[in-house]
Amino acid sequence: MADKIDYKALGFLCGLEIHQRLQTDHKLFCRCASSIKEEGEHSSYVERKQRAVAGEMGNIDQSARFEEKKGRSFIYRISESDTCLVEVDEEPPGEINNEALIISLSIADAMRMEPLYEIEPMRKEVVDGSNPSAFQRTMLTGLNGHINVNGRRIGIPSISLEEESAGIIKAGEESAEYDTKRIGIPLVEIDTDQYIKDPEEAKEVALYIGRMLRITGKVQRGIGSIRQDVNVSIAEGSRVEIKGLQEVGSLDRFIENEVIRQVNLLRIKRLLEGQAAKVGEKKELSGIFKGTKSKMMTSSMKDGGQVYGFKLHGFGKALGTEVNPERRLGTEISDYAKMGGVKGIIHSDEELAKYGITEEEEKSVVAALGVGKEDAFILITGKKEAAEKGIEYARERATQAVLGVPAETRAVHDTKLFTTKFLRPIPGGARMYPETDVLPVLVTKELMKEAESASPNIERTLEAMKKELGSEDLANQMISSHRLALYKKLSNATKSDKRFIANTLLQKFVELSRNGYNVDSINEEELAEAFRHYEANKITKRAVEEVIKGLASGKRTKEVIKERQLSRKSKAEISKIIDSAIKKRPKARKDEIMSEIMSEYANVVDGQELKELVEEKCG
Amino acid sequence: MYSKKVREALEKQKIGVGDIISIKTTGSEFEGTLMPNTEANSEDAVIIKMKNGYNAAFRFSDIKLKKLGEKREIPKFPSVKYERKNRLPDIELIYTGGTIGSKIDYLTGGVYMLTKPEELLYEVPEISEIANIKVNNLFSIPSEDMSSSEWGAISKEVAESLNKGSRGVVITMGTDTMHYASAAISFMLENLNSPVVVTGAQRSSDRGSSDAFMNLYCAAAVAARSDIAEVTVCMHASSSDNACNVIRGTKARKMHSSRRDAFRPINDKPIAQVTKDGEIRYTAGYNRIGEKTEVKASTGFEQKTGIVVAHPNSDPSIIDFFVEKGYKGIIIEGTGLGHTPVSISHKGFSWIENIREASEKGIIIGMTSQCIYGRTNSSVYRNLRLLKRAGAIYCEDMTPETAYVKLGWLLANRKKGEVAGLLQQNLRGEIKGRTEYGTFLV
Repeated sequence: MADKIDYKALGFLCGLEIHQRLQTDHKLFCRCASSIKEEGEHSSYVERKQRAVAGEMGNIDQSARFEEKKGRSFIYRISESDTCLVEVDEEPPGEINNEALIISLSIADAMRMEPLYEIEPMRKEVVDGSNPSAFQRTMLTGLNGHINVNGRRIGIPSISLEEESAGIIKAGEESAEYDTKRIGIPLVEIDTDQYIKDPEEAKEVALYIGRMLRITGKVQRGIGSIRQDVNVSIAEGSRVEIKGLQEVGSLDRFIENEVIRQVNLLRIKRLLEGQAAKVGEKKELSGIFKGTKSKMMTSSMKDGGQVYGFKLHGFGKALGTEVNPERRLGTEISDYAKMGGVKGIIHSDEELAKYGITEEEEKSVVAALGVGKEDAFILITGKKEAAEKGIEYARERATQAVLGVPAETRAVHDTKLFTTKFLRPIPGGARMYPETDVLPVLVTKELMKEAESASPNIERTLEAMKKELGSEDLANQMISSHRLALYKKLSNATKSDKRFIANTLLQKFVELSRNGYNVDSINEEELAEAFRHYEANKITKRAVEEVIKGLASGKRTKEVIKERQLSRKSKAEISKIIDSAIKKRPKARKDEIMSEIMSEYANVVDGQELKELVEEKCG
Repeated sequence: MYSKKVREALEKQKIGVGDIISIKTTGSEFEGTLMPNTEANSEDAVIIKMKNGYNAAFRFSDIKLKKLGEKREIPKFPSVKYERKNRLPDIELIYTGGTIGSKIDYLTGGVYMLTKPEELLYEVPEISEIANIKVNNLFSIPSEDMSSSEWGAISKEVAESLNKGSRGVVITMGTDTMHYASAAISFMLENLNSPVVVTGAQRSSDRGSSDAFMNLYCAAAVAARSDIAEVTVCMHASSSDNACNVIRGTKARKMHSSRRDAFRPINDKPIAQVTKDGEIRYTAGYNRIGEKTEVKASTGFEQKTGIVVAHPNSDPSIIDFFVEKGYKGIIIEGTGLGHTPVSISHKGFSWIENIREASEKGIIIGMTSQCIYGRTNSSVYRNLRLLKRAGAIYCEDMTPETAYVKLGWLLANRKKGEVAGLLQQNLRGEIKGRTEYGTFLV
């Protein structure tokens, strides 16, 4: 599909925002550790409400107001080991973490950005509950840089250092629950300009930046540690932000689908214009469903629910038009309605019988709303307040369909079909103000020096890696791997052959991981110990793999070697083994002797050594 | 503050804070709104707010400035006018400053005190369903700068408002010294027959997470609906936005520097809890509204009243210092049940003689406990008996802050001969006859 779309002709604009968690000793504004324990139990909760406060223009941000309309309360889980009062907005923040600042400045340096004279901490308002303070602390650390990807210069207008928000546990109609552990982990946000030429290039840029970040050796790895937000628009369309893409591999597919969605929405717009389409007023239709057999209606009305509907004048064809795989305009309208907290949404292009709605009831609805042949309608049921909100949102979305593509923030809907769904309106620009609780930091020469010396340079690193590993291919793989930091640690901690370490991390680890070994849980010091044992000829190359298997189940190197009897046989021992093998089969050939011995002692006998000894003995 | 050099250069180019400017560095050009330079910034940092909302700072000597446009007008805050609802009671909101009224200046990034406290109500529209609120913008003073003259001014306003027919009064103020103020207003208002509720915030009201909104809503509910004829403090009961505690003004104390639920009752239970929906649940006894009476504000306060902490190694001549300075009353924060050093082995450390001499000169010396929780006692140990005999007056279960306020008020509003006796008598719920088991760490 990708090659069929002429992105240039469509007026395609696309920019990325890449968020990467940093691996620092502690969080950005408090002394809690940055490496949180995902499993740990939470010990308490706090429950909060948030309000959209008047912004600097004296008005309230649309996105903020939207969240508040939902009127939800937010429950925050607190675990003593990972969260202190700062994260739950009960203590002012401490100073900016210098370690995180240096990493951020070093990335800015690698992207040839203009340094700032002073770092100004800011508050970015967020009222979806993802931060108990209702804002995220963030600061600009570099301006106007660029990177070169496949010979194209990609502008990097800004890089910022910010705090991670809370992880959502569950989002309900009346409340949302968050875990506060993650809050405050330092995060860099790297923004590209909007001139990425096509989805493929977007993916390449994301990969390039990811590689650069890993080279610092100071970034976290694992699920959620890197996230991509994508801004996409086409001419006559609107800016749509797709949030939280975690898999860089499918980035291009999501972008492509968004382009297709906007093209289809513009098609729908023209269709609706032709029909002089408009959105009707809401009507209460509860009366029609008194005594209904529809399960959806009865269960809703039992809780005191009501049924509302509105006419979509001229929407007859449009409503069922597909905008993305398995997503129609009707689905988009439903998404909005759901934000009001209702589940019962029906649109007229659906089979109403599947909801247990009789033909007679349908006729009554059609009559009550005055729906004609070219028209459509929407029904919503739920508690009065929720249903009214739902209707309001649905009508808003339908109205936008006549205008074209609404500017939205969207979230991943289906990772197999690469489709997205409405999350909230695009936040307005005026949502930032100074963080008065934290002092600005002067970017001194010393600070810049430290940043420059830690600057991640892909070309330089690749060159050095090539020398180190003696293979361009291996070097390329290594610097693209998320185990790069581990490689550096191991090659500094042991004198083992670096190629062997690289191959183990790149191939063996993947292999073992596929076979169900939890290699990412391995204690790094124990792993270094395994390589040290190898380097001291205490175990063979093959035994290293066996040791790793044991380490993956939480054991220690020495323990595994002892339990699985992995100690390497000495020359004298091998000699004895050969002697007895020859004695058993005096007529056997050299290779037969060797393979017999290896079949029994593969993990503890070094093949080369065995070969030499057999040669010696059998002449 | 911008340095003189920067200031002069800006003036020369007629650039002022708020103007749109361009900044040229060696490699780039940036546009933004010029921000002021606060005391936290380097004085040669030129700060602009960029289109993306971030503030960016450049060193003055590294850049070239150009004015692109005039300061934009910040739209006025939307004004709120609520329709008067005859079915709702009338209450007054006296605004005095503090975090609850501190706002960020979006243009400059500085924090300022609201000049129009009505803005607070804009954020809490549901308050208009509780009462008709008259806002009285009395003054704007941070809590650390409040003094007895402000307590007096507030008390006068409260008395006037109640005598004119308000059903109740809400007072918003800074929280750090709120418990001194709530005690002071308790004593100053004589014949109080209406709810007077003091509230504030630990997070400023320009934050979406501010505790101001619920505190204000709950305080208004108490003023409009409760029959508590006392001065109370109404603040978050827990870290959650679920309910507020209503604590007797003479028994409240700020027990945490930053948490929302910092205010706790000391040696007392909360009088009530108010849910976030404004429902009042009474949890302990209180003075009920009775027949209508005229409220009187007795706002005198003896300035020469002080607090002294007795601690190991403390020098008792601190008492002599207070005497020399003409003090009329001293509250000692003693250790445990109300001790000061009386050591025979370290004569120089004994407070006995200093207290005796001060007391003989007619200075009232009140003894409280730095334990904060619990009651003082003058007879359990010999050393306590020595202090009592020297003239120390044991202040029962009053907090040192309440004892201080009470003493200052008594000295200015009661006959000299009565002060010592009244200090030990309950006037406004500040002394409980019995210490209930469930009043510790609540």
